[in-house]
Amino acid sequence: MKSILARSLSRKQIVTNDGKGIGSLRNLMVDFDTGLITDLVLEPEESFDTTGYTLDGENMLIPFEAVRDIKDFIVVDRYLARM
Amino acid sequence: MKNQITDLIGLKIYSENGMFIGEVEDVVLDIDSKRIDALAAGKLNPEVVEVKTHKGVKIPYRLVKSISDVIVIRHIPHMFNSGGEL
Repeated sequence: MKSILARSLSRKQIVTNDGKGIGSLRNLMVDFDTGLITDLVLEPEESFDTTGYTLDGENMLIPFEAVRDIKDFIVVDRYLARM
Repeated sequence: MKNQITDLIGLKIYSENGMFIGEVEDVVLDIDSKRIDALAAGKLNPEVVEVKTHKGVKIPYRLVKSISDVIVIRHIPHMFNSGGEL
């Protein structure tokens, strides 16, 4: 089991598995009833084309399902991220 | 219902019989199962948890009964006698 402290994820960079930078993490959406992490809330880079992604004001949502791994970066699947 | 994880930080934790236990300082995530694994509690009530060698305790998320203005966790007898990880 890989466990991570939520605070350590603050402002972490998010990249796709094909190496494209998307933005930095702002928050995580969780379901308090089940404890499941549902989405990443991130601030997209200005150069990033957000067409096709879920937007919430200035922020962008990526389903947590798309997360491949978290180490120095948060790597997301570029196909699964667009839902 | 979906909530922001930062909403948890700083919430006070009480047991279901009304004892103050501490405050949420951080949240432990299990990346593999995509779940909250535990709440890292600090500012502990010294009458409930002995804090000598450690600053906080990890409260498994399965003990959480409800989250609103405060967090209520299940009371397990003798749970807090020795402190440390539950």
